[in-house]
This record gives sequence, structure tokens and C-alpha cells, in this order.
Amino acid sequence: MEPMGTLHPSALSKKDLHWRILWDKEKCTLCGRCTAVCPVQAIELGVHRKRLVTVPLGIKDTPAAAFTVYHGIDQRTDAAFACVGCAMCSMVCPNDAILPVLNEDVDKQRFHINNGGIPRRRGGRRNSPGSLLDQIKFVRISMLTDPALDAGRHEFELRTLLGRILPPEEALAFSRDNGWIPPVREIYPLVIGSMSFGALSPTMWEGLQMGVAYLNEEMNMPVRMCTGEGGCPPRLLRSRFLKYVILQIASGYFGWDEIIRALPEMKEDPCAVEIKYGQGAKPGDGGLLMWYKVNNLIARVRGVPPGVSLPSPPTHQTKYSIEESVAKMIQSMYMAWGFRVPVYPKISGTSTALAVLNNLARNPIAAGLAIDGEDGGTGAAYNVSMDHMGHPIASNIRDAYLTLVTVGKQNEIPLFAGGGIGKNGNLAANAAALIMLGASGVQVGKYIMQAAAGCLGSEHDRCNICNIGQCPKGITSQDPRLYRRLDPEHVAQRLVDVYLSFDTELKKIVAPLGRSTSLPIGMSDALGIADRSAAERLQIKYVV
Amino acid sequence: MRKNAPKRIQEAARAPAVIHGVESGRRVETRVLEERIQKAVAEGHRLIEVQAFGQHGIGGRLWKAGDEPVTVRITGCPGQRVGSMGFPNTRIEVMGPASDDVGWLNAGAHIVVHGQATNGVGNAMAQGKIYVAGDIGARGMTMTKANPRFAPPELWVLGGAGDSLAEFMAGGTAVICGHEAHHPDNVLGHRPCVGMVGGRIFFRGPHKGFSSEDARLAEIGDGEWDWLAANLKEFLRAVGRSGLLETLLSDRAAWKLLVARKPSEKGVRAVRTMDDFRRFVWDQELGKGGLIGDLTDLDRSPIPVITTGILRRYIPVWENLKFLPPCQANCPTGIPVQKRWEMVRRGLIDEAVDIALAYTPFPVTVCGYLCPNVCMQHCTRAVEGLKPVDITVLGKSSLRARPPEPAPATGYRVAIVGGGPAGLSIAWQLYLKGHQPVVYDRGEELGGKITSTIPSLRIPDEIVRHEIDRVKSLIPRVRLNREITREEFTKIRDEFDFTVIATGAQKPRMLPIPGIERALPALDFLRAAKANLIRVGRRVVVIGAGNVGCDAATEASRLGAEEITLIDIQEPASFGKEREHAEAAGAGFLWPVATRAITAEGVELTRGDVLPADTVIVAVGDMPDLSFLPGEIATERGFVVVNERFQTSDPKVFAVGDSVRLGLLTEAIGAGRKAAEAIDALLKGREVSFDTLAPIPAARIKLEYYDPRVKGFGDADECAGECASCGSCRDCSICVTICPQNAISRKDLGGGAYEYTVDADRCIGCGFCAGACPCGIWQLVENVPLESVNGAN
Repeated sequence: MEPMGTLHPSALSKKDLHWRILWDKEKCTLCGRCTAVCPVQAIELGVHRKRLVTVPLGIKDTPAAAFTVYHGIDQRTDAAFACVGCAMCSMVCPNDAILPVLNEDVDKQRFHINNGGIPRRRGGRRNSPGSLLDQIKFVRISMLTDPALDAGRHEFELRTLLGRILPPEEALAFSRDNGWIPPVREIYPLVIGSMSFGALSPTMWEGLQMGVAYLNEEMNMPVRMCTGEGGCPPRLLRSRFLKYVILQIASGYFGWDEIIRALPEMKEDPCAVEIKYGQGAKPGDGGLLMWYKVNNLIARVRGVPPGVSLPSPPTHQTKYSIEESVAKMIQSMYMAWGFRVPVYPKISGTSTALAVLNNLARNPIAAGLAIDGEDGGTGAAYNVSMDHMGHPIASNIRDAYLTLVTVGKQNEIPLFAGGGIGKNGNLAANAAALIMLGASGVQVGKYIMQAAAGCLGSEHDRCNICNIGQCPKGITSQDPRLYRRLDPEHVAQRLVDVYLSFDTELKKIVAPLGRSTSLPIGMSDALGIADRSAAERLQIKYVV
Repeated sequence: MRKNAPKRIQEAARAPAVIHGVESGRRVETRVLEERIQKAVAEGHRLIEVQAFGQHGIGGRLWKAGDEPVTVRITGCPGQRVGSMGFPNTRIEVMGPASDDVGWLNAGAHIVVHGQATNGVGNAMAQGKIYVAGDIGARGMTMTKANPRFAPPELWVLGGAGDSLAEFMAGGTAVICGHEAHHPDNVLGHRPCVGMVGGRIFFRGPHKGFSSEDARLAEIGDGEWDWLAANLKEFLRAVGRSGLLETLLSDRAAWKLLVARKPSEKGVRAVRTMDDFRRFVWDQELGKGGLIGDLTDLDRSPIPVITTGILRRYIPVWENLKFLPPCQANCPTGIPVQKRWEMVRRGLIDEAVDIALAYTPFPVTVCGYLCPNVCMQHCTRAVEGLKPVDITVLGKSSLRARPPEPAPATGYRVAIVGGGPAGLSIAWQLYLKGHQPVVYDRGEELGGKITSTIPSLRIPDEIVRHEIDRVKSLIPRVRLNREITREEFTKIRDEFDFTVIATGAQKPRMLPIPGIERALPALDFLRAAKANLIRVGRRVVVIGAGNVGCDAATEASRLGAEEITLIDIQEPASFGKEREHAEAAGAGFLWPVATRAITAEGVELTRGDVLPADTVIVAVGDMPDLSFLPGEIATERGFVVVNERFQTSDPKVFAVGDSVRLGLLTEAIGAGRKAAEAIDALLKGREVSFDTLAPIPAARIKLEYYDPRVKGFGDADECAGECASCGSCRDCSICVTICPQNAISRKDLGGGAYEYTVDADRCIGCGFCAGACPCGIWQLVENVPLESVNGAN
């Protein structure tokens, strides 16, 4: 709004904004980098008058007033150009003259980001800094009671199993009767969750895949990455690196004809197939990749013409019952690779998870169940879906595990937990907590983006503009001007760093528990929490 | 041996003490055996034979012998930790195999094991030597120390080592001879050297890796080789295998040396660099260009955050004269107001004045006096409460304006019915375009309302006279006092190339109320008043408080009325000078009231009271008098219907001014100009070209460069100086100055023309030029996509 203009309901002052730009006139050298780098044009050069009124002492002369003009960095107050707090301006400022700060007040901006009647949409996370997983402590320290283990010295079996694990007595009979048993993979329990080629930039995607390949081939860590729904580059399908990949099939089925046609040329089987029914960030909602984002590259990978909008419906079209969803889909996907590749569904955290699990338990070949809790991230969703829809992962995975325990199948259907793992940086601790609550492994996305590529998102609604293709780090943009900021090699290297440090931290957690021969899946007697209701709900120790 | 020791002790020292680990068929407790050994030493025995039976820690801590050597010979089965906390004076010979932790915390003892040793040999040993004639178990030489005050510890193993050799080894030397090792394919065992920070390991034979983070293979120098050879000889002699010396030393290359990495060498993981991996593994498997090298030719190499050239996300564009300034965009006549001020700034005051006549025949009358100055109402300066630039200054200067030269005569003739502002405007424009206008008017004088009904108070007569004369001097074909009938109109239409209806709104609207005949229509009143042909009573009521009503009130006052009331059924729509003059005349406004009747007493209102009046004037609007119009020309609600070119349903007939839509003088003049343009286009067979540029958004103009305290303007130069030059570059070079990259330069195009250009290779797309430009010329736009998406749109 112009200072002298008329008010309208959505006219905001700087005080009303969620992020405020603090600019220091003294330090600023007017180099232009901040305005050049701002992803949302929240700042611009402004012209200002400065008035100096001089009055001679004793008012012996006529007072004088003189105007001068100066230029400075102005923050725009139009909600459409609101600062997102990414602080790229600070990053490029040579003089430390500019900084976005969080408004301590409840901002007014949030009431005006629905102009035109369109509710706010964004990427990112739930914007809720709290984490129950962070509160869980590992209270069982076995110094003398169990073999004393040294995280740095001992060898640990940290791999987990993905696939339908038959109990030995059944396995023998099954094998004898069928000449086949369901395939099972030994994989690293920290899986890179589904982020599609298209949601991520080509440099980011390649960096992650390269890092995964490095971890497998140079570090001997069987790390796996899920493609997300966006197909898989043809070269990857035809390379030996495919075995490090979990291919995802979701309601849009993008890229699957390319995958099917690549079958005869595959050197390796993929690790697994994930059937996506939902995601934690926007449970029950689908997605739409707008036509203008479907460039030649994405179009080629997804097997569509460029410039056509790509809808992923909230549900799969041809499945009308849970039985169909489980049995029909799992059967179909098993057939693609001659029953050599494990197939499992992924659902968003939900109070109905147990119904799904019960169906999986009755299915003889379902390879597991991945549950994505409410803290999962996304490239684009309605604010309301992200903030208010979904189920916390801890109790959801716990219920699922205890149900399996009740039916005696806890070692047969691996559960994978996702959503908010490491949201405050405590990746290994959160992962270990979920494993001890019953998960066989965890899926992470946001942590990887932050640690491996420098994603700026935070739980205080920082950045979160993955949906508009303007990612200042080039992680989620399809614009070469942005994604070329990201060097795939650096991403790969950082990914290796993340996994190596995670590996050490996980050992630092499991070693004092006296566990080195297998992951402490469901070892809930090691967990405590200083919250009585949470302890009761999760059936872990209440410790104060 | 102590010199002053009792003779008994000296004798005892020479005799071996034999200590039994089993007594009367029962095992002697470790504590008791230890007591007996210590006692023997204290008694002077320097050779002790222990027949062990699993006792712990035999042979350590024999400090009571002082510097004198003590030899402990162990037969039987020693327990764990033989020689633990051993002293330098002690030599221990285990005649068979040894259990765990031989030499644990050894502080100097020399321990020889003639058989195999199990786990933990030399664990935490700081000084002394351990010789083992066979293999050792796991975790040998672990946690060893090297105290700078003493010689470092040594472990010699004839065979091979078990797993986890040298874990956390911090000093000393281990020698693994690999002779007839239990695992001949791996003499170092599984995962040796984890956490090793000091010391060295000589070994001979194959191995299966070690902790490369902690240790590294080193070359065996001559000095080290000599040391190894000399000490190996002693080791073999001690374990009774001297015969192996030649075999073991025969191949120097078979020996390897592991040393702990120095702190400075750590952290440099002996791993493949990612660059290497990408080139030799990743791209090798996937092909050139990696993951998507087959799908795109786009360069994906890393770029800096701040970029120039084609890599800029945004680029500045110099949009000079791409938008209309709001004054010009909003002037119904379309006068390029801002361009005139720019001419003034450039010292072209005469040209600035003259140019008005290209747009209107009445620059003084209208712009200078009668127009509410729509241009000023929309002046960008007004957006921020600044005083709009005063166009009346230029308007009033236009008395001396020189008309432009008309285009060469075309011979086309256009009849214009009505010589008011609209008619004269179109006649003026047609004249300038080389056509021949012929003006018909039923009055005695040209000018319509300007000359007949507008009070003299609003504008001096000589001004109007001057401008009417100017028109007449250039448009000689004027037929006055001609009331046009329908027949005549048809005739004119058939005779001329085009005919224009510009008859205005001459028919006063009167109210359908009793006594209306007692009232005067405002137009009649004003016309008569202007000619001083009428008188008014003391009390005047004007029904209708619009601008015409105000003019009537003003005139009534001039003619002597004392009590003047304007009434209206709604809030009066009057504004501007008309309203000001009426108020200055002391007129009162009364609303909302409705009139029921006009009586001899005055105006009777529907609410019941009567406003006393001697004269009642009705000013509720005027309607066109279109009685002359042939039926085939369409009308609607009393007005002529026209298209956007002011063409009527008869293509040869145009209509402008109040006969089409009631409006301001400037709107009538503008309509005339546009209709003339359309007629000219039709006559010359070309497309109509109106100004189609959009007005510039006010936010692009930076008013902060102007003094907000300016209250008024003295002359044209002051006005010109304060004009913000919206959308038109004022050549101030602020952009050149503000650009942090020095990327903008002014290019002289000759003949006074210029442009500002951007050096793309320097520009970073910061938009400072757009932010600083006073006139809103620079615009920061998204750069063209590097990869275009050919959408379905």
C-alpha cells in the first residue's frame, strides 16, 4: 500500500508480516545481491526522503528544513510477495546488512493469503516444532548386565529386512510346496523416502542417487531410495544401480510404461516396489503437477508429452475395497519381476492403519507396510491438509506393531515408519525410538533435503515454497537457473556424511543396550518418557 | 642382591624355590600362592618355580627384589594374567600354553610363553616384552602404552594373531612372524588396529585388511630391518627356535610394517573421492552425462548464486513511452499533457503551448478555465497527496498558441450540424486533416453552451471571443441561424461525404408537476442572463443542484437575487468551480427534498412546507432535440446511438457531444477528435488508430524525489519541474548511477534521441534501476525460460 493510499482489508503493514526484513542502512553497500537473489521478490530498492530540520540555537535565525533522497532495501507488504524467511538475502549480503526475523506477534498475513478465494498452498512441513520422538529416552544402559559393547569398536548388524519373512518352520514347508518363498531384502534401516523426479530438481535427484550408489559400492551400506511417483530415468532403470532403488507406483501411474518397457533391458531387479496409497503431509489428497512445470525432461521420465498437467488423484481409480487394494495391487506388482521383488503398500498415518495391516497379515506375500505420519513433508499441499490432517507416527506404528505381536507375526511383516523423523535434527535418536517401538526401519525425506542439500525449511514456516518452483537452493526447482546452484557431487557427498554419522549415532544408541547382532526392533523396554499419558499410550516406561 | 642381606637369604637366593599350586590334592588359592611367591622373593629367592594350577596373575609385582633379577618358571597350567603388573626385574617363563591376558598391565617384565597364548596378550602393557612361541588369541597388544620415561613394550608372536589385534594400541612394537599360523591366510586376524593411535606392527604373511582409518602400511627402512633381525634372533633363541632365523629373514619383502596414523593423517579416509566415483563409476555405468545425460542437452554444471547474462532470473527492460501517463490517459480530449511539460523542461515553451491546438480548438477556454481538469485529478502526484501539476497555467498561456498547418486539401466535405464544442472540435480536426468542414448552427454565434450559457464570471468574454475567432478564421464555411429540418438534414446527408450530428442537448427537461409553467428552464435563463435580457426576483429557488443549477444560482446572484436556494432530491452532484461560485454567491443547498408543485408563493415540497420564491428555475438536465433526425437513424432514450467510433446506424452519419451522451466540455471535444479520426480513416481508406497504450501503474512512479510541501506553482517552469514524467524517461541517469554493476549506459541515437541499455554480461538482475527510476521506465521482468514448455494453452 502506498503510505498515503486508501486502506483495503488486505492492506498489511510490516508489523503484520510473518517474516520481517531488518535492513541496516549504515552497513548496506547497495550491491543489489539481496534483491537479485530473493526467490519471491519480497524486497526491492526503494526511494526515500529524509528531512532535516535545523533550528539555530536560541532560534536566532529562521529555522530551515532540507530534504534529501536516499535509496534503501524495502520489504513489500503485499501478501503475494511476502518474505518467506529463507534468508538468501543474508547469505549473499557482503556486509551483514540484511536479515529476516520471525514476527513474535501472531501475524496478520495469514488471514490474507487466500485472496481470490484460493486457500493457501505451500510445500514443506507441518510447522509444528514439537516432537514426541524427541522426548523419548533410551533408559536401558547395559554396562554389566549384557555384553559390554563399544560403538566404535564392535561390529554391529544394523541391516533390516524388507519382505515377507516366513517363520522357519513355515518357510521350509512353503518352499517345499511352492518351490519359492517370498523375496526378502537386507537393507539399511534408514530409507530415503519417496521424492519424485519432478518434485526434486534433476541435480538433487542425481545427487541423492549418486550418494546412494556410493554408500552401497564404496561404503558397503545397503542404502535404498524410493523414487516417489514420477517415474525413473531410463538410464537408471537399465543400470546396476537399480537394485538400490525402490520404485513407487501411485495413483497417477506416471512413468510406469517406461518402466515396463525397460524390463527386458534391466541388469538388476529393483530393491522393492512401494504402492503409495497416501502420504503423511496431505493424507487423502492428491496432487497436480501443473503443465508449465512439465518440461521436456520431466515429460520424458514420466512418459507424457511436455506441457500437459499431470493429476495424481487422491485414490487409485480401480480399487473399490481394501481387499482389492491389497491383494490385486500386490499381486500385479509381484508379477512384473517374476515374484522376485518385494511389494509393499505405503499409507498415511491413520486410525484405520490396523485394518490395512490386518489385511496385509492375511495376504501371504505382502512385503511390509510403510506408514507416513502427520509430520511428513511434501512439495505442495493445501495448508489445511498439511497442518491438520494425519496421525502421529509414534502411536500409529506402536499400535501396528503390538497388533502384529498379538497375532504372532511381528517378525514377519516389517513396518516402516515415516514422517517427522529428525525434524529437529535428532535423526538417529528418532529413528531408534521408532525402531524400538516396532518399526523395522524408517523413511526420511526432509532431513535428507536439509542435511544433504541445505534445504532452508523450518517448522516456523520458513521458506516452504517448494510448490512454486523457486527453491533458492535448487532442490525442488526445475529451472536450470536455480537447480544449477546445486552440485550433485556435493549432495552425494553430504548424503554419505549423513549416513556415516547416522551409522555412528545409531551404534552409540544400540551399543549401550547391548545389541549388536540385530536391530532392536520392538525393544520397547529400553524406552522411557517423562510424560505419563504418552508412556501409557505407547506402553513404554514412565520415567522422571 | 642387597649387600647387607643376611647370609641366610643370600644362600636361599641361589636355591630355587618351588611353589606348588596343588597341595594335598587341593588347589591353592590365588591369594595364598601369591603370598608364598612374595615370601620367597622376600626371603631372597631369585629363581622361583611355580607348578601352577589355574592361579591368577602369577609372576607380577615382584618389586621386593629391588634391582635384582628374579626368574619365575611356570609349569603346569597358569591362570589368567600371567605376569600382570610385572616389574622390570622379572623374567617369566611359561613352559607350556598360557591363558588370557598374559602381561596385563605389564610394567617391565619379560614374559616368555613356550606354547600358545589365548586372548588379550599384552593388554594394557606399558613396558617389558612378551614372547609367544605359537599363536595368540583375540585382542593381543590392545590398549598398550608407550611411556616416554621407559623403553616401549614389545610383543613377539611366532605364529599368527587372533581377531582385533592392537585395538586402541597406543605404543610399543608387535611382531607377528606368521610361522605356521593357525590361520595361514590371515596372520593378523579380523579387524586389527581399530582405534590404534601409536606403535607399530611387523608382520609376515597374508592379512585381510586392517583399520585403514587408524593405521597404514609403511616401508621397512634399513634401521628397522636391522632392529627386527637382531631382536628376532634373540626371540627365537628365547623360545628355542633359533633354527628358524634364516627362514624368517630369507625374504625381506615378506615382512610388512603397520604404523599408527598420526593425528594429522587421520580423517583422511582412504576412500574414493566423489569426483572420482562420479567419473569412474557413476558415469561409467550410466553413460556420459550421468543419470539424464541421454534426455537433455541442457548444461547442468554448477553456477554461482548471483549470476549475469542468460543465467539471470530477472532482467531489466527500458520501457520508455510504453505506457500513457495518467494525465493523458484520462484526458477525454487526449491531450499529451505530460509531453507538454517535458517540452517546457527542455525549454520548448512555445512548442508546448502550440501543440494543444492539435488536439482542441479551445485550449484556453477549456483547459485554462472551464474544464474540471480531469488530467490533474488523475495526476500521479495526487496519489500521494502531492499537489497535481497545474495544467491551467499552460492552458491560459495558449492564447498565443499558433495553430498547426493543416494537411493538404483533400476536397472531401463534411457537414456538421451544431457549432458547439463538439461540432467545432470535429470541424477543427477535419480542417487540420485537410478536409472541408461546413458548420450549421441555429444560433447567432458559434460556441454553443460556451458562448451562450456559461456565466461570464467563470471565464472572461474576450478569452472565448479570441478562441471562437481563431476557429472562424480557419473554418470559413459557417451557416448560422439555420434551424435544420428533417428534409434539410436528409439533403445535407446526401450532399456531403459525411454528416455529423453535434446539436447538443438543447431541450430542457421539465418536471411533470402542477405550476411548472411558472418556472424557467435553466438553459433559457442562462442564455437570457448572459445577454442581460432577464431579471430575477429577490428570492430564487433553483430545482436541481447540479452544476447547471449552480451556474443559474451564480447568475441569479449577479442579477440581484438575495435569497437563493438550490434544492435536489439527492445529494447534489455539483462540484468544482460551478459549486464554488454558487456557494460564494451565498446560495443555500437543501436536500433531499422533492417538489410537489410550483405556486405563486413559491415551491411546495412533498414534505408539506413551501419555499417562498419570486423566481423558480428548473435545472434537472437537458435533452437533445432530435426532431430533425430521419427515422432510420437509431436513438435510445432520446440520445443518438453510436458505436465506439461515434458512427450512427447510418454509416454516413456520425454523432458527437451531448446529443450522444451528456458530458463535460472536454468529453465533447474528445468525441469530436475521435470521430474526426474515424471519418478521416474512412475517407482515406485506412485503419483507425487511437492511442491504445495502457496508463502506467502509479506504483511505478517514485514521487519521493519531489518536495511534498509544494503548495502551488508559480509558472510553467515550476510546473514542469515537478511533473513526475510518468512513463517517459526524463534522461536523469539515476539508473546509470544506482546500478551496482555499472551495467547501464546511455546511448545517443543522434538528433536528440537516446536510449538506455543494459550490458547483460554485467547485470545481475537486482532491479535497482526499476526501484530507483523516478518515471517508472525500468521494469524487472522474468527472464525467458531456458527450457520452454510448449503448453497446451
